[in-house]
Amino acid sequence: MGIPPEREDVKQQVQYLSQITMKSHLLESPISKCPLYLACHHLKTERIQRDWERQGDAGSEGQKLTVCPIINGEDHLRLLNFQHNFITRIQNISNLQKLISLDLYDNQIEEISGLSTLRCLRVLLLGKNRIKKISNLENLKSLDVLDLHGNQITKIENINHLCELRVLNLARNFLSHVDNLNGLDSLTELNLRHNQITFVRDVDNLPCLQHLFLSFNNISSFDSVSCLADSSSLSDITFDGNPIAQESWYKHTVLQNMMQLRQLDMKRITEEERRMASVLAKKEEEKKRESHKQSLLKEKKRLTINNVARQWDLQQQRVANIATNEDRKDSDSAQDPCQIDGSTLSAFPEETGPLDSGLNNALQGLSVIDTYLVEVDGDTLSLYGSGALESLDRNWSVQTAGMITTVSFTFIEFDEIVHVLPKLKIKFPNSLHLKFKETNLVMLQQFNALAQLRRVDQLTIDPQGNPVVNFTLWKYYVLFRLSHFSMQKINGTEVTQNDMIMAERLFGILAHVASSELPQYRLISILGDARKKQFRYLLESKGKKPGIINEENNDSKRLVGENTNRATLNYTTRDFYNEKLEEIKEKKKFCKTYIEDLVKEATEINMKNEALQKLWPQMFIELVRDAVIEIRNKNSYMKLCLQQITDQK
Amino acid sequence: MLSPERLALPDYEYLAQRHVLTYMEDAVCQLLENREDISQYGIARFFTEYFNSVCQGTHILFREFSFVQATPHNRVSFLRAFWRCFRTVGKNGDLLTMKEYHCLLQLLCPDFPLELTQKAARIVLMDDAMDCLMSFSDFLFAFQIQFYYSEFLDSVAAIYEDLLSGKNPNTVIVPTSSSGQHRQRPALGEAGMLEGVEASLFYQCLENLCDRHKYSCPPPALVKEALSNVQRLTFYGFLMALSKHHGINQAPGALPDKGDLMHDPAMDEELERLLAQVPGLVNSITASPEASCLPSRTPPRVGSPWRPLHHSRKVDGESDGSTEETDESET
Repeated sequence: MGIPPEREDVKQQVQYLSQITMKSHLLESPISKCPLYLACHHLKTERIQRDWERQGDAGSEGQKLTVCPIINGEDHLRLLNFQHNFITRIQNISNLQKLISLDLYDNQIEEISGLSTLRCLRVLLLGKNRIKKISNLENLKSLDVLDLHGNQITKIENINHLCELRVLNLARNFLSHVDNLNGLDSLTELNLRHNQITFVRDVDNLPCLQHLFLSFNNISSFDSVSCLADSSSLSDITFDGNPIAQESWYKHTVLQNMMQLRQLDMKRITEEERRMASVLAKKEEEKKRESHKQSLLKEKKRLTINNVARQWDLQQQRVANIATNEDRKDSDSAQDPCQIDGSTLSAFPEETGPLDSGLNNALQGLSVIDTYLVEVDGDTLSLYGSGALESLDRNWSVQTAGMITTVSFTFIEFDEIVHVLPKLKIKFPNSLHLKFKETNLVMLQQFNALAQLRRVDQLTIDPQGNPVVNFTLWKYYVLFRLSHFSMQKINGTEVTQNDMIMAERLFGILAHVASSELPQYRLISILGDARKKQFRYLLESKGKKPGIINEENNDSKRLVGENTNRATLNYTTRDFYNEKLEEIKEKKKFCKTYIEDLVKEATEINMKNEALQKLWPQMFIELVRDAVIEIRNKNSYMKLCLQQITDQK
Repeated sequence: MLSPERLALPDYEYLAQRHVLTYMEDAVCQLLENREDISQYGIARFFTEYFNSVCQGTHILFREFSFVQATPHNRVSFLRAFWRCFRTVGKNGDLLTMKEYHCLLQLLCPDFPLELTQKAARIVLMDDAMDCLMSFSDFLFAFQIQFYYSEFLDSVAAIYEDLLSGKNPNTVIVPTSSSGQHRQRPALGEAGMLEGVEASLFYQCLENLCDRHKYSCPPPALVKEALSNVQRLTFYGFLMALSKHHGINQAPGALPDKGDLMHDPAMDEELERLLAQVPGLVNSITASPEASCLPSRTPPRVGSPWRPLHHSRKVDGESDGSTEETDESET
């Protein structure tokens, strides 16, 4: 526009200039070095020009322009060069209405103004100034090249009418984002290097854009430049110097999302690279799906555990209520129901309060809720809820089972765990660390049950839900009873030699009493069949005389893992114990009646004996008297006897 | 023992008084329980062992509570066993809660009722702050009073309540000028405002109780002594006084004197031997052959860090491992 068709030469000049400009901005060198340009008319005095050329550099300061000089009689001027001056305002050029190229590179211009008459302008070079805002370009509808690099521009605006613009250079400005690019229907090159751009928009509205330079900005994710994927014309893009370029997924993400790209960061994209990109992109997808699945599983697990916890609390409350009711029934009138009841009751409402509200929210989403959870995580087997105990019956692969070194029980009654300990021993032979949380460990006795395991290295009893931890002596009792395990750690703290000594000192006598003072038949009944063999020596030695050293004893002791003198310290769960007592009741009744009968018999016999004792003297005298009376008359007695004999026949 | 009075009792009563039947029944019951095992080594031996253990006081170990409390002798044996087994806890100086003492009791008797332990704790703590810590000796003597005399104490409690509410169970209702009032004078009615009841009146009721009932009760003379220098007392004050009274504590014959409570040389010796066998303890160069075979045992050598002051005899380096405790017979 603005060049009459007959001025073909000028047209060519301008075209040539534009091409050079395109190249020169890449080098960011002023077009003044172009030979054709030098041939054109420019305003610096010839003398200055010449001086400048001789010096090869910008002229001395005293010779620099500070204002645009008024140019008269040059109304046909096509190219104007004011480079390297101190010009602060564009003015006095409104008469140069034929101007095609205006170069104000390296001045001190603060505002774009005074260009409203330059309707033919094709090339506007305002690089390295102090321009803060893009404005006043409304009439420059023919603009082909707009160079605003090295300014202080913060926003892209007021350029939407430049439909002939092919090159836009906004490098080294203060742009923080890119948008408002619609209307630039001819733009093929957009230079946005060295800004602070964090996101890019509207680029898909540029139908001709081929080259986009975003080096040295602040782009960190592909999402912030996602519009690039929709730009089918883009073939060359640079991202170097951005945070995104440091990411491991950078290259293949860009390639995968911009299949139309031919060159990335000034390097051609090969087929190999594209293939790699798609492969990697697929892997990313997989990973994302996987992690999503994982997070779903985690959520489900969390909800299940919450549910188990809730059920556990309800169960505990029920038990506590029953217990308090029983206590009230039993307690005497004289003594008030003890304060213990009050404290148990008060504990639970506090606990379930916050738990309830949280759970209600969490449980709303689920329709089917599990009541237990079994989880294997590397070397840890975690069981939540009593239903989980059944999982020990499953067919565990030898490899999986062999890897388990830690077993954790939560929200399960310890008495129920006791029953499955033998299974644990067999199926998970390497389980060396046991953890108990919310398992209702209330008595020291319960630890006796752990003695049947093969070996335990570490024991962790979480204070939550295990009142036994409140006892002063619980650790020592564990060390004492399970001394044959040579435990390393209890609740995270190392077991020291002093601990072992203290444990032995506190409870050693108990062990001694429990083994050596029990009569044989008690030992048998307590130890039970399975361990009779093990402790045979203990039983046999009872009959031996003191002082005899028995070689066998040491042998069998070597085979036996357990410290023998505490073997009789067992634990039977409350239910089993009550069952046993019930069974014995019948026998007791029988015994009672049997003994009563015996006593009756004995007393009867005794009575009879006593009576006999009383009567005997008299009876004896009678007997003797009768006999004497009988024999008094010898003859008649003899006759009587003979008579008796003949009668007998 | 061989007094003519015993011959005067009818047979059944005599047996019952000595609780012979209880033991006979229990013996037969145990026999039935362990029929197969006992038949191996003979019934005669079984009975010998059984009654031996009854004499020694070891028959109550790990038995159910109903048996443990069945006879005074059982109770005494149990108290003694508890003392012997857990004296070390007391010696260590640990103060424990009521629940923990209950745990220790349960180690010896799995179904020991919590109620009894609570009552015993109340005596020590004067019915106050049930979570307080108690020393071993305090608890033990209070527990003895509560356990050995539990029926007696129940009746005493009833009497106390009556006295507190103004009723005197002793008064014979005689029509007097003050027209058939069952209740005592208002003077006693004020007792509710003052703490506790009058000591002398209380003692009278107790005396009658002891005469009337057959179960064991503390010697009345000693009870009088315990109440001699108080005007008024509360129920727990009374129990506390009982538990602190030297004579009453000695009466059952279960526990030693308070001063000697931590003193048990035989068991201490045993403990030394056991301690010396704790694995990893300071050991001597001369490792005995058997001991070295046992991976977990080291030859016992005196390296125990704590020795009682009176124990001057050194423990020999035993070479026979830990058969000691199996050979040792109880004194």
